[in-house]
Amino acid sequence: MTLSGRFVLLVALGVVPIVWFGPDTVAATGVLFIWLGVVLTLGGVDLALAASPRAVTVERMLPARVRLGESVTSELYLTNTGRRRLVAVVRDAWQPSAGAGRNRSRVAIPRGERRLVSLTLTPFRRGERRVEQVTVRTRGPLGLWNRQATLNAPGRIRVLPPFHARKHLPSRIARLKELDGRTSVMVRGQGTEFDSLREYVRGDDVRSIDWRATARRNDVMVRTWRPERDRRVVILLDTGRTSAARVDNEPRLDTAFEAALLLAALTSVAGDRVDFLAFDRRVRGRVQGASGAALLAQMVDSMAMIDPELIEMDWAAVPGQVRSITSQHALVVVLTSIDAAGASTGLLAVLPQLTKRHTVVVASVLDPATVLAAATRGGRDEIYRAAAAERALLDVARVSAAIRQLGADVVTASPAQLPPALADRYIALKAAGRL
Amino acid sequence: MSVTLDSATDVAANHGHSAGGVPTTVATPTLRALLRRSSFWIFAFAGIVIVAIVGVFLSGGSNAAGRALAGDNAAPAGSMALVEVLRQQGVTVTLADSLVEVRDAVGADSTVLLFDENGYLDGDQLAELAELAARTVVVAPDFLTLQALAATVGFGGVSDASSLQADCVLPAANRAGELLPGGDTLSIPAGEHPLVTGCFASSTDTFSLIQVENEATGGIVSLVPDARVFNNENVTGYGNAALALGLLGESDSLVWYLPTLADLPRTGPPSLAALTPGWVSPVAVLLVLAAVAAAFWRGRRFGPLVAENLPVTVKASETMEGRARLYARSNARLRALDALRVGTVQRLARAVGLGRLAHLEEVVGAVAQITGGEPNQVRRVLVDAIPSSDAQLMALSDALQALEQATGRAVMASVVPAAEAAASASRDSSPPPAERMDP
Repeated sequence: MTLSGRFVLLVALGVVPIVWFGPDTVAATGVLFIWLGVVLTLGGVDLALAASPRAVTVERMLPARVRLGESVTSELYLTNTGRRRLVAVVRDAWQPSAGAGRNRSRVAIPRGERRLVSLTLTPFRRGERRVEQVTVRTRGPLGLWNRQATLNAPGRIRVLPPFHARKHLPSRIARLKELDGRTSVMVRGQGTEFDSLREYVRGDDVRSIDWRATARRNDVMVRTWRPERDRRVVILLDTGRTSAARVDNEPRLDTAFEAALLLAALTSVAGDRVDFLAFDRRVRGRVQGASGAALLAQMVDSMAMIDPELIEMDWAAVPGQVRSITSQHALVVVLTSIDAAGASTGLLAVLPQLTKRHTVVVASVLDPATVLAAATRGGRDEIYRAAAAERALLDVARVSAAIRQLGADVVTASPAQLPPALADRYIALKAAGRL
Repeated sequence: MSVTLDSATDVAANHGHSAGGVPTTVATPTLRALLRRSSFWIFAFAGIVIVAIVGVFLSGGSNAAGRALAGDNAAPAGSMALVEVLRQQGVTVTLADSLVEVRDAVGADSTVLLFDENGYLDGDQLAELAELAARTVVVAPDFLTLQALAATVGFGGVSDASSLQADCVLPAANRAGELLPGGDTLSIPAGEHPLVTGCFASSTDTFSLIQVENEATGGIVSLVPDARVFNNENVTGYGNAALALGLLGESDSLVWYLPTLADLPRTGPPSLAALTPGWVSPVAVLLVLAAVAAAFWRGRRFGPLVAENLPVTVKASETMEGRARLYARSNARLRALDALRVGTVQRLARAVGLGRLAHLEEVVGAVAQITGGEPNQVRRVLVDAIPSSDAQLMALSDALQALEQATGRAVMASVVPAAEAAASASRDSSPPPAERMDP
């Protein structure tokens, strides 16, 4: 049971009759009690005439998924199964991060009928956003006292990572096709394999002319080449302690998601097989054996539920995890953070096991604030900050050098630049035939 | 937020849902369930209230001392026993709390008992009281009372006699014979006092009962300094009861007067209640109730709170900031400058085309050569100088930056002409490759 503002106003209006009819204390007190009695009776009658909020059946229609930053419509169907006409305010109790805005709506439902309450959700956090209950507050004909009940109507919506980096995809696919034999620009290198013969056109590399075929066909023929296909790419995501750090107002983990998605999209276009693994001390997400459109869908789906865990990454288990995915030679992309030497000993210890069998790329976000701080030297405090920043950059450089010495490749860039930089490195490796 | 008011059948047809499916479960408990669930607390609270009420009733009166000598007080300090006995004897006893009540109750042949423990009455009231009744019994009179009623009588201190014998002409005293020893006494000054009679003498001039006759009105004032004579605890001992009944039961009507605050004269300006209209208090009550209702209106939650588990996010630059503050707090100038120098040297090595692992001397030499600077000066900035103050540290930091910029400019200046020269040379010597391949 609740009160309305109208009831409060009605109680306060009792001042008028008390002042009017009450010249002395006794008469005024009498008027006070009469007024209170009238008001309470009105409230009680109103409450008794209000429709029961318990006699409402709730059904929910929700899309299963939404990309972060986009809006969806949540539909709530309310059926009045009671005997009275129901006039109510309904609160659909979404989590705040579901971005429901003002989630109270007025409905009037005649008996036995059904009404739709729709709510626009704009979630502002990745993951699963939930709603458990719907609260219905019905008012009586006078609108003085209300009845209120909370109904169980669970629902959930999965908010997928936004994949902003997909804007880089067309240009990278174009560069990937340049590697392929389909455009006039021919790139020939170690990692290419013979594709087909075709007639010479102006601009082709004369070194590609196949003289035997030219002799057979009585026309100048050139060989075309295409990059290797059907190679394995394993994307390993570090979801441990360091992935929670916020760089440029974005957690490292989300940057890693963007980079992984761009790389996966590119790789599936290039015809390679992608496996995705998110790991800290146990597997947080895994996508294996998917290709084409299903690959990205499965990846964003598993990424949606991954949050940084406040535990140390178990690097010793990583080679085993990679081995369980593939025993062939593969490109292993490790998305982690390169910090001080002390924090990276685990990674450095297991890298030889990985590089012995695979081509390894270690990708890490570089904090642009650190680079900026190293160049800002206005006063005493800023110089000390610059020194600390130089120190941090030096640590990164040292660890990167150690990683390169162990035979792996390093990609570091600011959060916005990391996904395209990683994609470029992949294209470069592919062109060089190191997959 | 929008509500579409299309008909139920349309909605059902569009979404393939039929109305009246599985009934929705309700999370809010019904009133009955709520009562059942909290029945233990309700009963516990009710039990505590009942125990408290019963306890108050059982212990009521027995523990409380009550007002001393009050006619309706059955405690040891009260005088209910005496009053009840007088009533049984046919005396009409009126309990009065103020002089106004006394004035109403007193008759021509009444006796008034006055016990003004707190001294509420002033001289005028006492004088008026003395004239009201034929007989006045004053218990434990204070100085003001003596001044007003029996100016000749003074205080006599506490009696030290082992027993108090009547030994006087008053019939009531003679019937009592002996009185509770050891109470306060009053004294009669030496000399002839024909209207003053003292009984129960402790010494030659101190007495435990003094009767004063008013010459003008003929009223009799009996002064009993020891209040214990009349209370429930002691009235049965010695001749106390006989004295009390003799003094108080002489007429058919007795006014038992214990003054209260009501006897104090009112002074000062009129109170707020007297100045304001009568409806002010009820309006105040109504507004308080309205405020309570408003609090309930605004405070009532619209359903339970929704939990949101927040993600953990840490600023990545925190270790850097922490280290910077450590440097600053410990004035680690050389250490800070070394960090800056290492970064500068690496960038310089890259700029002049030396590898990451180039020796420091090589870098110094190359930089000095390309910028045209003095090698010792470059070496001082890059290696040797030790800052002894923050000003020197800042100067060296600026010098490092200046050196980097100078090197960058020098490298650009030397690279651009060379590249232009190479480009023009290739343009001159070789024709376009496409021409060469024309069949």
